[in-house]
Amino acid sequence: MDKKPTKRKTSETIKSFVKFLISIKKYRGWIILSIFLATGSALLGIFIPKILGDMTNIAVNTYQDIDFSAIIGKVWLVVGLFVGSAILNYIQAYILTVVSAKYTRDLRNKIIDKIAKLPISYFDKHKYGDTLSRMTNDIDVLATSLSQEITDVSLSSTMLIGITVIMLTISVPLSLVAFVVVPLSVIVVGKIMGHAQRYFNERQNTLGVLNSRIEEDYAGQIIIKSNSHEEASLQDFNNVNKKLAKITMRAQFLSSLSMPVTHIFTNLGYVIVAVLGGIFTINGQINIGSLQAFIQYVSRFNRPITEIASTTSTMQSLLAASERIFEFLSEPEEEPDPDPAKTIEKVKGEVEFHNVNFGYFENKPVIRDFSVKVRPGMNVAIVGPTGAGKTTLINLLMRFYDPTSGYITIDGVPTREMKRSDVRRLFGMVLQDTWLFSGTVEDNLRYGNQGATLADVIRAAKSSNVHHVIEALPKTYHSEISEDSDNISAGEKQLITIARAMVANPPMMILDEATSNVDTRTEQLIQDSFEKLTHGRTSFVIAHRLSTIRNSDLILVMRDGNIVEQGNHKELLKANGFYAELYNSQFAEN
Amino acid sequence: MLKLFKFLKPYWWQVLILILATGGQVFATLQLPALMADIINNGIVAEDTGYIWQTGVIMAGIAAASAACSLLAGYMSARVGANFARDIRAAVFEKVVNLNIVDIKDYSTASLINRTTNDVNQVQEVTMMMLSVMLLAPMFCIISLIMAVRTAPDMTWIIAVGIVAILASVIIIMSLVMPKFKIFQKLIDKITLITRENLTGLRVIRAFNNERLEKKKFEKTNDELTRLSIFLDKILKLEGPLVNIIFNGLTLLCTYIGISLLNKDFAYLGNMSAFAQYVSFVMMSFLMMSIMFVMLPRANVCAGRINEILRINPKIKWLKETKGLPNKVVSVEFRKVDFRYPGAEEKVLDGITFTANVGETTAFIGSTGSGKSTLINLVPRFYEATSGEILINGVNIKDYTKEDLIRRIGLVPQRGILFAGTVKSNIMFGAPNATLAQVKKAAEIAQAASFIEKLPGEYNAHIAQGGTNVSGGQKQRLAIARAICKNPDIFIFDDSFSALDMKTDAKLREALTPITKDMVVLVVAQRVSTIKNADQIVVLNEGKIVGKGKHKDLLAKCKTYQEIVKSQLSEREFNKEMKVARG
Repeated sequence: MDKKPTKRKTSETIKSFVKFLISIKKYRGWIILSIFLATGSALLGIFIPKILGDMTNIAVNTYQDIDFSAIIGKVWLVVGLFVGSAILNYIQAYILTVVSAKYTRDLRNKIIDKIAKLPISYFDKHKYGDTLSRMTNDIDVLATSLSQEITDVSLSSTMLIGITVIMLTISVPLSLVAFVVVPLSVIVVGKIMGHAQRYFNERQNTLGVLNSRIEEDYAGQIIIKSNSHEEASLQDFNNVNKKLAKITMRAQFLSSLSMPVTHIFTNLGYVIVAVLGGIFTINGQINIGSLQAFIQYVSRFNRPITEIASTTSTMQSLLAASERIFEFLSEPEEEPDPDPAKTIEKVKGEVEFHNVNFGYFENKPVIRDFSVKVRPGMNVAIVGPTGAGKTTLINLLMRFYDPTSGYITIDGVPTREMKRSDVRRLFGMVLQDTWLFSGTVEDNLRYGNQGATLADVIRAAKSSNVHHVIEALPKTYHSEISEDSDNISAGEKQLITIARAMVANPPMMILDEATSNVDTRTEQLIQDSFEKLTHGRTSFVIAHRLSTIRNSDLILVMRDGNIVEQGNHKELLKANGFYAELYNSQFAEN
Repeated sequence: MLKLFKFLKPYWWQVLILILATGGQVFATLQLPALMADIINNGIVAEDTGYIWQTGVIMAGIAAASAACSLLAGYMSARVGANFARDIRAAVFEKVVNLNIVDIKDYSTASLINRTTNDVNQVQEVTMMMLSVMLLAPMFCIISLIMAVRTAPDMTWIIAVGIVAILASVIIIMSLVMPKFKIFQKLIDKITLITRENLTGLRVIRAFNNERLEKKKFEKTNDELTRLSIFLDKILKLEGPLVNIIFNGLTLLCTYIGISLLNKDFAYLGNMSAFAQYVSFVMMSFLMMSIMFVMLPRANVCAGRINEILRINPKIKWLKETKGLPNKVVSVEFRKVDFRYPGAEEKVLDGITFTANVGETTAFIGSTGSGKSTLINLVPRFYEATSGEILINGVNIKDYTKEDLIRRIGLVPQRGILFAGTVKSNIMFGAPNATLAQVKKAAEIAQAASFIEKLPGEYNAHIAQGGTNVSGGQKQRLAIARAICKNPDIFIFDDSFSALDMKTDAKLREALTPITKDMVVLVVAQRVSTIKNADQIVVLNEGKIVGKGKHKDLLAKCKTYQEIVKSQLSEREFNKEMKVARG
């Protein structure tokens, strides 16, 4: 368990830093300008304590008859300095705000663009949450830390250098005190924080364990209750919870140490400077105004140092976030469409698989040497037990995936020589997973055919038996719906996706019949709409209903990813193979 | 938020030490500028080196004391905070685990999880902030004020100017920004939503060639977000320069006023810089408090969400001791059972009456919303009947202890829910004392043995959280094995077979027959084929029983049942079935 979080190698850090710099190149002029402004702002600010000290000196030297005109001059100088400094500061912050907002906007657009260009296989292998978190969390990290970082680094380094110079000009010995004490505190705090970081990492892990425990137990409530497992679950939870509290305490305590440690060092520095400075003043080595100025500089000295120290850790997370984004952006994209691409003018709807081989993984073939000819207007049923790979055929037809060898033709034209979008335009698709986007019903129905009129939309809705459902919604066709809206049922969502396919009016259809959690009446409506949809069209149906299977012209029987049999219902029953077995087990009475 | 502070009660003395230590630290720190002024006034001006050294030593001592106090405060605050969060988390978890399903039905699992984790973290963070900042800042503020007034009473008005300036700037900026923050959050949510939709709807988007449309939609929201975030930042970024101007302005004011007062009293030479420091302390504490007030509402929302859970009053009360103690369950009987969700008007179940006997299978079928799942959830008292009685061996289930009732029930829910652990630990979930042989037997009956034996480690094979490393059908079979292993008297299947292919379904039912002969079996099903052979089929429609009997009788008499069968069979098969039914 002693695995420390792997430290990023310096070379890698530099590499991702360079990548990051290249990505932001477009804005380099603005960034450089803002660095100049920040430097200017810091420089102006640095002189303020010194001039205040000068004011005191003038007062002390001309005591009894204080030279107010000289002092007033200094006052205006100081006002000019801090107002100028603040203005420069604001201008540079403003520039960086715009730059970082635009930069992250561009990145977001790039990500959404990339999502459209990546092959489907990428998303079948990666979790959605992963991509989503790049779009949200990582971009968020960039957006918040980018402008802050640039400002901090330029302000702090200018201040650090400037203060050092001024302190040296006031008094070399006093400066030495500050130079030893202040960096020492930063180093000690850094050490402590490094130690605390270990506990924070451990805390993060334990928190993860606790969270998954909670998630599991809440999701499995029914099982816990029906097995009287409450006590045991509580005990498990408490063990982790107690451990978490212990580690949290350590982590918090260690990190809270940084305050007193910094304090004691700054206070110590303060005291030493006060005592030594006092003695120096008596000895006439420095004057009293300079001492007061110096004390102010000492208290300002540790801020840029801690800020620069914390910059390195924010920089790390900024780079990690940008790296995750660039990694995603550089994933290999879908093979480009052929140019020039073949097109089909008037589709008859003849689909043929020629010796198709395919596998999702290199040495795991899923479809082996599969050939079939589907004549125009044929209804093809794909059957098989769950997990047999029925969707693979759909993936190949729609060119979500391409065969490893062999090819598919539509009306004799190999689909691989066509544009993907042209192939997909030929098919309407209704899947089990009823995906609706959040928007109005009308927008959703028009999704496959932006040019459709409201009349077209209503006609399709009527024909797929969903018109009355939509009419019953508060704003009828203008009602807002979404994937997880609960004002319409799962079955009704399916009807909407059918209507959506109807509005698109494609020459061929791909359907998934599986309907779970749908009541009998809706089921009948869906079936009726399916029939209308496939009528006279070449169609591929992942079939679950016996009636569909029996009425189809061709049945493809799949098992463990392979097509094991093909033919119509009668032929397959006669063959007495896997299909017959499947069929009989469903109504296994005789 | 305040209500949650009762969780601080066991730690009251630690909080007390924390307060004292914080006070000590503030007090000590604030002595330093005054002592510095003394060095200038009494040491430097009077050219008294001894005095300087002496004061220096006192200052060093005070610095050390301050550090010690802040060390102690840090320790206490870490300790109190961690334990405080632990206790709240445990209280929420315990509450949720012990509440009944009906009590938490209105909360999604995600929301409950959030309340137990993120919300508690938020509350902890803010409480810790409060314990440090809220204690520190006012103390700092008050003591600085006192010290400031004491060092330079003539300059006190400068503090008032400072406070007004800083509060005005914070309030103006916040009032400009706050209303827009909600919109900002909405836009962020919308960006997430569209991205999610692009991911989940990948295939549909590509099937309809709508990549460009989606992109346009996204870019529109993205532009809006960018514009708003620039607007917000433009204002927020004013804060830093403004605060700088105020601080510098005050320091300048102190110096100038101090100088102009020198003629009156030369002590202002040392006092003015001490005063300037105190003023900046006062300003700092106001800034800290204003941050606090921005954070507080958010924590308050979280605290409210936690309290909501802690306040839930369980609707179902269990007896401590069983009144009637039947040995073996021979019957489960529903007598005119009604059920409606609390607050709802419509009945989910209406006048349900039936008896299920030992050795028989009673099946429930009906469309979604017919109430069949609710019905079987009444047996383990996940929900409580609104009226009517549910009896086991003639004894009302309310007269059983929880232990006693649950022990007799083996429930297989709709989704196969598994827990992280091993195959064995999952099967033994309801029967902690089962032997390996019993586990294996249960797996065999559940048709799970064959795939378990192919797993690395077999019965010790690792099951990931949520069972993500086994398929849906396998999960379901493990869930069935878990219920079998418990050796219950009442077996409840809530649509548990739909994830299985028809062949496995048939095999499983065959294997179950011998062990269910001395059990009461209740089955909810979607597929007619699953329940065709049941001894009694209860057909539900809109919460009412519309048919009760065997498959053949129902086919002949019950219209709803006919409709259901018809939807699952082809015309010809249906006619054949009907013919058989009519004899």
